[in-house]
Amino acid sequence: MFKKISAYLVGLIFFFPIFFLISSAIKPTKDIFAIPPKIFFFSINLNNFQNVFSQINFFPSIFDSFIIAFGSASWTLVVAIYSSYYLSRNNFKFKNLFIMSVISARMMPLVSISIPLYFVLSKLNLLDTYLGLILVHSCINLPLAVLLMKSFYDDIPKEIDENALIDGASKILILHKLIIPLSLGGLSVTFVLSFIFSLTEFICAVMLSQMEIKTLPVYASLYKTLPSWSTMSVIISFSLIPLFVLLLFIQKYIVRGLTLGSVKE
Amino acid sequence: MTNQKSYSLPSIMTSDSSLPWLLPLITMLVVFAIIPFFYNIYLSFHEFVPLKRALIFVGWDNWIKLFTDEIFWGSLKVSLYYTFVCLIIQLVLGMGIALLIDSDDPGFGVIRSILTLTLVIPPAIAGMIFLIMEDANYGLIPWALKSIGLLGQEDTILADPTLALWGVMIVDIWQWTPFMVLILVAGLRSLPSEPFESAMIDGAKPFQIFRRLTLPMLHKVIAVAVLIRGIDLWRMVDYVFVLTSGGPGTATYTLSLYSWQRFTFVQWGYGATISLFSLIVILIVGNAFIHFAKVKW
Repeated sequence: MFKKISAYLVGLIFFFPIFFLISSAIKPTKDIFAIPPKIFFFSINLNNFQNVFSQINFFPSIFDSFIIAFGSASWTLVVAIYSSYYLSRNNFKFKNLFIMSVISARMMPLVSISIPLYFVLSKLNLLDTYLGLILVHSCINLPLAVLLMKSFYDDIPKEIDENALIDGASKILILHKLIIPLSLGGLSVTFVLSFIFSLTEFICAVMLSQMEIKTLPVYASLYKTLPSWSTMSVIISFSLIPLFVLLLFIQKYIVRGLTLGSVKE
Repeated sequence: MTNQKSYSLPSIMTSDSSLPWLLPLITMLVVFAIIPFFYNIYLSFHEFVPLKRALIFVGWDNWIKLFTDEIFWGSLKVSLYYTFVCLIIQLVLGMGIALLIDSDDPGFGVIRSILTLTLVIPPAIAGMIFLIMEDANYGLIPWALKSIGLLGQEDTILADPTLALWGVMIVDIWQWTPFMVLILVAGLRSLPSEPFESAMIDGAKPFQIFRRLTLPMLHKVIAVAVLIRGIDLWRMVDYVFVLTSGGPGTATYTLSLYSWQRFTFVQWGYGATISLFSLIVILIVGNAFIHFAKVKW
């Protein structure tokens, strides 16, 4: 019983900042600036929403974020489907080295790839474009997607492939007709996780595009110096909604996803 | 397989060679990781000269400047402190909470679900939530600390050179301790129950069981958690940008933030040098860790 109560207390502590954010979005201004802070007993005022929606149009940045997230998650998945299958089923000379270099790509500080990519993208005229950020985000997500998909393929018995090979099917046919249908769950988890990470990525989005395209975190961070807490809380509460909805689809696999497939639940 | 013939593909796709399978991945890695890496090296030997509007070769100047730059040493110290302190706190706290909620009781499933919420919040936005909560005049956290006497009436968190870094670290600890918890719970749940039962029968104390059985058996899971968290802590820039922008003064510059800040001041070569330094450090340390902790994928 003691264990249960303290466990719930821990849950509440970690949930509290999210609750506090949402409550700041619906508090009247005088309650936001009240001292002592009104944590639970505040009056509810939905005018904030009306004010924010009539003054600030952040839907373009939601649109930008979703285009980039959708594009990069799709491309990431296409690349991962084939390369992960090969990595899962075949042994080759430099396989370990190859996997190590995929993981090393995951280690790179994003600032240190953004600075050179700024010049690469500007030469290709891809700065401040959807395509530029889609490609950069897919590269950031590839190590995760490749290793995660490999772990899902590893779960499928190799006998299935071997039997089909004996029947004379080619590898690509086995992948398309047998393995992909069996790993649809893993594919969707990989897609949604890449989608979420593209939505949350900040530093590349800010360094490689800021004039034309603003993703949600970049747009929200513009309000960090604004004195209006209610505006800020409304904007960031709204940007969290799609993320929590997406989370519902992958909650069971989040540990596996965040550890690049190496810890299974 | 009767439909095999109708399914015609270029012969290169049906061959046994690894190249067509891995080519898209290799291309992406080359263009967006390996070329930037070498371009970074190139940039670290050049500097943009505004008068000539061009990158000029400067030899080792940037590197010499790097090692004599006090702000660089300060930001290196901040990055190291931030990484190690957060990692230890998250690991210890995460292990404690994981042991607490490792149970078959369905009520604990709700807590695990709550803990996943923080993991999908964009770090920049998590920083802004705490920006509200740590505000000097109206923030909840300074108010709470003042009312229990831990913070003087005139003190602030984010404008104080010694406290500001903790103000940033608290966000990281809030957002990513659940990550540690969930990994460790997944590890604990996968352990076999027999060794624990026989240890109990032999009369081992709970702490002995934890030390001699649980920890060694969780070795792999802990190593993975430390590796991934360590990488992300080392390259963290979002929180510190949102909360303090490196301030007060240069007290909370991390390597990534300092390099980005030099970049925005058009010191492209010097910015690239700082970021290259932090990249080389993490590549060496990360790969050595994978090797010695025997992390496998």
